[in-house]
This record gives sequence, structure tokens and C-alpha cells, in this order.
Amino acid sequence: MTKGTKILVVDDEKLYRHLLEINLDTEGYEVITATNGEECLDLVSKKHPDLVILDVMMPRLDGFSTLERIRQFSEVPVIMLTGKNEEKDRVKGLNSGADDYVAKPFSATELIARVRSVLRRSLSTETSKATRFFEHGDLKIDLARAEIWQDDSPIFLSATEYKLLIQFAHNVGKVLSAEELLSAIWGPQYRQDKEILWVSIARLRQKIEKDPHSPIHIVTRSGLGYLMPPIDALKQ
Amino acid sequence: MIEPLLPIKTETLYSLSKICWESSNWKQALDVICSEIRPYFIFDNLAVYLYDESHSDLDIAYARATGRGKNKEADVAWGESIISDVIKNNRTILSEPSEEESDRLKRPHILAIPLQSKKAELGVVVIIRFGTPIFTRDHINFAEFMSSQISSMILRQERESMINQLQEHIQTLQIQDDFISTLSHELKNPIGFIKGYTTTLLRQDTSWSIENQNEFLQIIDQETDRLKELIDNLLDSSRFQSGKTTLNIQLLRIDALLNDVISHARIHHPELQINLDIRQELPTLQGDPRRLKQVFDNLVSNAAKYAPGKPLLFRIYKEPQGITIDVKDTGPGIPAKDLEKIFERFYRSEAHNQDTRGSGLGLFICKKIIEAHQGQINATSIPGKGTTIHVFLPFIEM
Repeated sequence: MTKGTKILVVDDEKLYRHLLEINLDTEGYEVITATNGEECLDLVSKKHPDLVILDVMMPRLDGFSTLERIRQFSEVPVIMLTGKNEEKDRVKGLNSGADDYVAKPFSATELIARVRSVLRRSLSTETSKATRFFEHGDLKIDLARAEIWQDDSPIFLSATEYKLLIQFAHNVGKVLSAEELLSAIWGPQYRQDKEILWVSIARLRQKIEKDPHSPIHIVTRSGLGYLMPPIDALKQ
Repeated sequence: MIEPLLPIKTETLYSLSKICWESSNWKQALDVICSEIRPYFIFDNLAVYLYDESHSDLDIAYARATGRGKNKEADVAWGESIISDVIKNNRTILSEPSEEESDRLKRPHILAIPLQSKKAELGVVVIIRFGTPIFTRDHINFAEFMSSQISSMILRQERESMINQLQEHIQTLQIQDDFISTLSHELKNPIGFIKGYTTTLLRQDTSWSIENQNEFLQIIDQETDRLKELIDNLLDSSRFQSGKTTLNIQLLRIDALLNDVISHARIHHPELQINLDIRQELPTLQGDPRRLKQVFDNLVSNAAKYAPGKPLLFRIYKEPQGITIDVKDTGPGIPAKDLEKIFERFYRSEAHNQDTRGSGLGLFICKKIIEAHQGQINATSIPGKGTTIHVFLPFIEM
């Protein structure tokens, strides 16, 4: 059953990559490796691994941030390798969407057992393959890098504007109420603060709509909320 | 004789306020304020009393004599007699002299105003005029207005300096925190490899080839050495840090010592080509041979690590005050921004090939050893061309 199962190992230490590779190889897994977070994101979107083993302590993009970016576009199961076996770190890992964690130093047999168990859970619930890029008319979003392009030129959004756009991108064709959007982006305590949503949508439209007065990406449904219309609706 | 307060222009109030809000040194600001308010408000002495650190007593913090009494120094009134009443009653007090006194300098009109904000009592500002004219209600209002501006200014500056202190403190804590986290990472890595490869060898469900077994055992062996080296380095660095290291000073010949280092290096790094260039007869100097060897061993192993396959040159000069040893490689070099930091504890340049490993302690220890010999160590580098470490050891009696 392990035939053709692909595991991506991400660690900046060569000896850890080697250790994981030789042990997983005996189990019949196909192993690919990355030495940093950026490379990891690239391989997740191009090679579609069935499992990622991700080290937390890496220079530049650390494991937690890498995981957060993976989760923008992929549900691939992830086992975190943590240096500190502290509750704080375990909770942080699990909260940012890790499926399991293994604390360093670990024994080879423990690691293999964890890999088997995570794969058993995930292979039984086949998940859709990762789509890293989202397109909507002339807009293209690279979910892994949080970059937006319009007709191949980059658009720069504030963190809030990006989160707002992603909410719409994840709910194409669905009307989102002001309360839902406020609560998802600013937090439940802002649910009534409609004016900040209005300003943010107006600013977002300035950046992504060719004609902000007759928007095509984010459309107002008076009294109900806002929606990103399905792509076929755009073409008409 | 009652002299009314000159009407104060809005621009004057604005500019006084602006001085208070923009100044970063309240004493300098007060100098400017004193000269600005004098046309409205003739006074001879001005003094600011602030609470001391324990907030139990007032101390003089600022004093200027501007008019009469300028030459009388400590002999005239500075308001110290009434400041405690101001504090006790928490209000402005105007003290008028008796009319009988004929010496003007003994007839001070003293206006003392509390310096305070809503939440903090800071002290008292005292304005003194010798002789007439007397202070009117308008004068008092104006003085109270100015004292509230001055209070805000002092308070703001006190807070700014507190924030700076806190930031420095946080930075120190951050450095300690980074130190501990780097340390535990560096110690845990070899342990992680030893544990990982040992348990790999011990796997019951797999039989490894002899080559694999040898490879794993070699890794375990190397990592054990590394762990020992790391612990030795750590102990050394903490001894140097706390100044507990004593040198075993002897008369030594630096050329003989370097020959030792080089023949030792030929065993440990057989691939490394090392040249020794000695230009002239070298006198002996005083030093700890074991520690100095440690420095040059370290420089050799750095070259083997970061400039592999490139020749290494030791060049030795006699100088008037001592001996300089340049250790020059032709490796990738060190970026300028890292150059001055490479001797810091746990500093590692990010430009390294990610597969080279180091603790960031080696050069720190080298620097401490050379400094203990009252010498100097520094580095110059041209990216792409190579790095030279310059070591200077002085001729001195130790």
C-alpha cells in the first residue's frame, strides 16, 4: 500500500534529510527533499506529495510559517519536527494545521510509526489535490506566496485587503454578509463595525477592479452582502 | 506700583507651547523659555525643584539668575523656604516681603507653583523678583499656564528615557534568549543525529548492508566528537566570558609553534595545502603555547571548512612592537556586513553553504585568547577572492 506514496522531507540539516530518507526508503515510500520553506512550497504545489515532514527550526521561513502558507492552498498531511517538546510549541503546530508532531531527538521506529498512522488516516479520506493558483477573470492569486497578479502585473494589497479577497476566493458564487466578513477578518467583536468593511471593500476595488464603479470581482448584493460571482457569469 | 501684564500674543503662547512639545532637553528649553517670557514677566531668579528618585524630598534641578542678584550667588533667596508649603498645600503660593526692608535684594517677591500633571507630582517651580513691581493675578495665571506646559515636557522626557531604558533591557534579555535557544539547538543537533542513526541501526525489521552500517557508525562517531568539541568550546567560552581563564605563560618561538600546527593539520586535513612564509628571523615572545595552538588550529579548520580545496598561506612578519601572523585563504570570502561580527559569540554568517556546520564559538574563543595575550585579531575579506585573518601578538612581559 505504500507503493507510489510520496513523502516530502524538509529540513535544513543534511544529516536529518539523509536519516529520514534512508528510513522511509526501506518502507517503500518515494522520498523527495527540500532544504528550506520556499523550496518546500514549490515542491508541494508541483509534485503533490502525500505527506510532508517539516522541520520547525529553519532559517528565514520557519516551519510554522511554511505550514501556514501550505494551508492556503493544500490539505496535504503534515508532520512537524519540533526541537522543543513544549506544550506551547505542540499547540502552535497543531493550531496552524499540522496533523502530528515528532520531537527531536526521535527514534527511527517512532518516526516510521507516526508516518504510517498519519498516512492511514489521510489516505482513507482522499483529499483533493492542491491548487496553488486561483484565477478569476483577469485576476490571479498565488496562494502559496500571497501574491496577486492582474494581466501579469503585480497588485499590492494590505494584509487586511488580502484576507478579504481570499474570503471571496474561497466562497465563489456565495453571498457573504457583512457580519460574516467582519467576524472572519477582524474578529467577532467587530461584527457590527460595518463602516470599516465598506472602506476596505472600496479600497480593494480601487486596486483590483478595472472600473471600481461597476465592479466585476466583488459585487454588492444590496441588503444581503457581497459576492464574487462564478467565472461563467463573468464571461457573459 | 502695580504694573499690568503686557497682553500676551497668541503667537507667543503658541511658540512657548511648541518649545515644550518639541524639546528633547527640558533644561535647554527652559533657557529659551526664560528669555521669551521675560518681556512679559520681569523676574530675577527662576528655580525648578524636582523630587529625588525616592520621591521623598525635593532637589534643585535647574536655576537661573537673570537680573538683580546675579552677582549675589547663594546669598539671595531661591525660594527654598516656601517650596515645602507649596507641596503640602498643593497650590500656588505668593510670598510678599515686608515693606520695611530697604535692601531690594532682601525684599523678594516669591511665586512658587506646583509642577504636576493629573497623575504625578513632579516638584515646584519658583519665580523670584527682588523689589517691585509686585506679581498681579494675570502674572500668576500666566505662570501657572507655563508651569503646566513645563510639567508636561518634563514628564514626557522622563517617560521617553524610561522607554529607552526598557528597550535596552528588553534587548539584553533578547540576546540572552537567543543565546540559550542557539545553544540548545547546537547541543540537540548532534544528540538528535546520534539517537536517529543509532535507532536506525537497531531497527529489527531491516537488515542494513555493511556499507550502510559503516556509514551510520561513522556519523555517530563524528557527532560524538562534535558534541565533545562543542562542550569544550562552551566551557572555554564561559571561562573566558567570566574572566576565569588563566594562561600558562612561557617563552615560545612562534615559528616552531606554527610548524607544529601545520604538521598537525596535515594529519587532520590531508587535502589542505598549507604554505608558511617567514620573512625574517623571529624573536621569541611570551604566551600560552597550548592556547595559541588552539587559535591557529581553529583558523586552519575554518579554512578547511569554508574554503575547501583552496591553499592556505601563513605569513609572518616581525614588527616593532610584536609579531603579526596573517592567515590567508582564497575561499569565497565573507560579506562586509558580517565581517565585524564573526568574532561575536554564536554569530554565523548566513552566506554559508547550508551544509557547513559550526557552533559560532570558534572565532569568539580565538579573540578571547588573543586578547588575553594583549594582542589583536581581525579579519579582512574580498568576496570571491578570500579572507585573511590578522593576528598580532605583542612583545611584552606577562
